[in-house]
Order: sequence, then structure tokens, then C-alpha cells
Amino acid sequence: MTALPLVGFVALSSALFAVGLFGILTRRNFILVLIAIEIAMNAAILNFVYFGAFSNGTAGLTGQAVAVVLIGFAATEVAVGLAIVLALNRVKGTINVAQANELKL
Amino acid sequence: MSLEELAFIVLAAVALFTAVAALLVRELVHTILWIAVFFVDISAIYFLLEAPFLGVLQLGVYAGAVTVLLLFGVMLTRKRIFSREAVTGLDAVPLSLAVVTFIFVVTAVGQLPQSSETLSVYDPTLLSQNLFGTNGPWLLLLGLLMMGAVAGSIYLVREGRE
Repeated sequence: MTALPLVGFVALSSALFAVGLFGILTRRNFILVLIAIEIAMNAAILNFVYFGAFSNGTAGLTGQAVAVVLIGFAATEVAVGLAIVLALNRVKGTINVAQANELKL
Repeated sequence: MSLEELAFIVLAAVALFTAVAALLVRELVHTILWIAVFFVDISAIYFLLEAPFLGVLQLGVYAGAVTVLLLFGVMLTRKRIFSREAVTGLDAVPLSLAVVTFIFVVTAVGQLPQSSETLSVYDPTLLSQNLFGTNGPWLLLLGLLMMGAVAGSIYLVREGRE
């Protein structure tokens, strides 16, 4: 029987989300922005798992199922993000987000 | 303090440290090494939460695939992969926005039970039944989304444009 404080998990995931948000807002390198998005995404997925684990009945299973779908979603998002990085690098010669100033790559 | 609580505190500290380190180091390859440690650490938290399937999935998808994808991204976009990033300082506005968001979210803690709660343990068999039965449509939608992502990625990086 494992017993853990729910409060600690909420504090952890909100702190991780804040770190990710800070990274998204400040970093200029496209790959670093992607990594910051991944950190925030992981914090969000963690929410589903521990709220499921601390509830009764099938809610925990639904939480884990949503987490599985979200992990796949996040992996897809990284793949598309890196395709955009490569296209941006070919057209502009840099992956600085400040210079990605037109939608037509 | 029980052993599980100690393990959680250590894992949470490592997760926070590696997330901050990944965003603050100046070499992009070092960033990816830190983020790999972060992903493995989150996977350990899943194991601690009695969700072994998610832990393995996190190891395979994040620590494996996403890390390698990011490394390829770095390799393909610069001539020397160990070149350094320009310093981007800690701007006041984004930092305060992140802190305000953290405080805003963490005030929800007051509404939650403060004591240690017992975890529910689920059989992975039940998870697979839930995943492919009740939540089957979401999984199908995820497959469609991935197909769209593959097509979109190929379109973005195709040859012979301009």
C-alpha cells in the first residue's frame, strides 16, 4: 500500500509547467522552444496520472488512457515541430524564432 | 516519512533541476542530455504512481524517440553541433509571468486533502480493456492525427520547392 501526498504532485506539476512557460517565452532557438513545450506537456500529462491514481473506481484507468493518448500526441507534435525547424533552417538559414516572420516558408 | 515519500521528494527535485538546467545551459547538446534525464525521471514518477505501462511508454517514446529526434534536429541545423547559444538573459516579464502562473495554479493546493492518500493500483489488463474499449475512438483519432502529421512533415521538408 503506497501512500503519497497529492499536494506534492500538484506543486511539482505546476512548477514544471511554470518552467516550461518561462522557456517558451524567453528562448530564441526553435529547438529550445520545442523542449520547453515538452516540459509543459509532461507536467500536464502527470496531472492526469496522479489525479487518477488518487481517485477510486475506474477514474484512474481513464486518467492513464488519456495519458497514453497525450504521450502519442506530444510525440507527433515534436515530429511536426522538427519538420518546421528543418524547413525554416533551409529557407532562412537560421532557427531563431525571431526571424521566422512569414508564414510561407 | 515513508520511503515512498522520500523517493517522491528526490524525484521531484531531480525533475525540477533537470528542467531548469535544460533551459539554461548554453550548449544545445547538453540541453538534450539534461532533457533525457528529465524524461527518465518522469518515467520513474509513473512507476512510483503504480502506472508501469505509462512508465515504459514514457521511456520508449520520450527518452528514446523524442530525444533522438531532437538530436537529429540539432545535427541537421548546424555545422558544428557543439557550438554555443547566444546568452538570453532572465527577462523580468516572462519570469514574473511564469511565477504568477505557478502561484495561480498552486493555490488549488488549498482545496486538496493535505494528508498522504493511498494510491489505487490497477491491473495493466484492465488498462488495455479501457484503452481499446471505452476509449477506443480516441486511440483511432490519435492514429489519424499521426497520419496527418506524417503527411504534413513530408510536405514541409520536401525537395524541389521555391
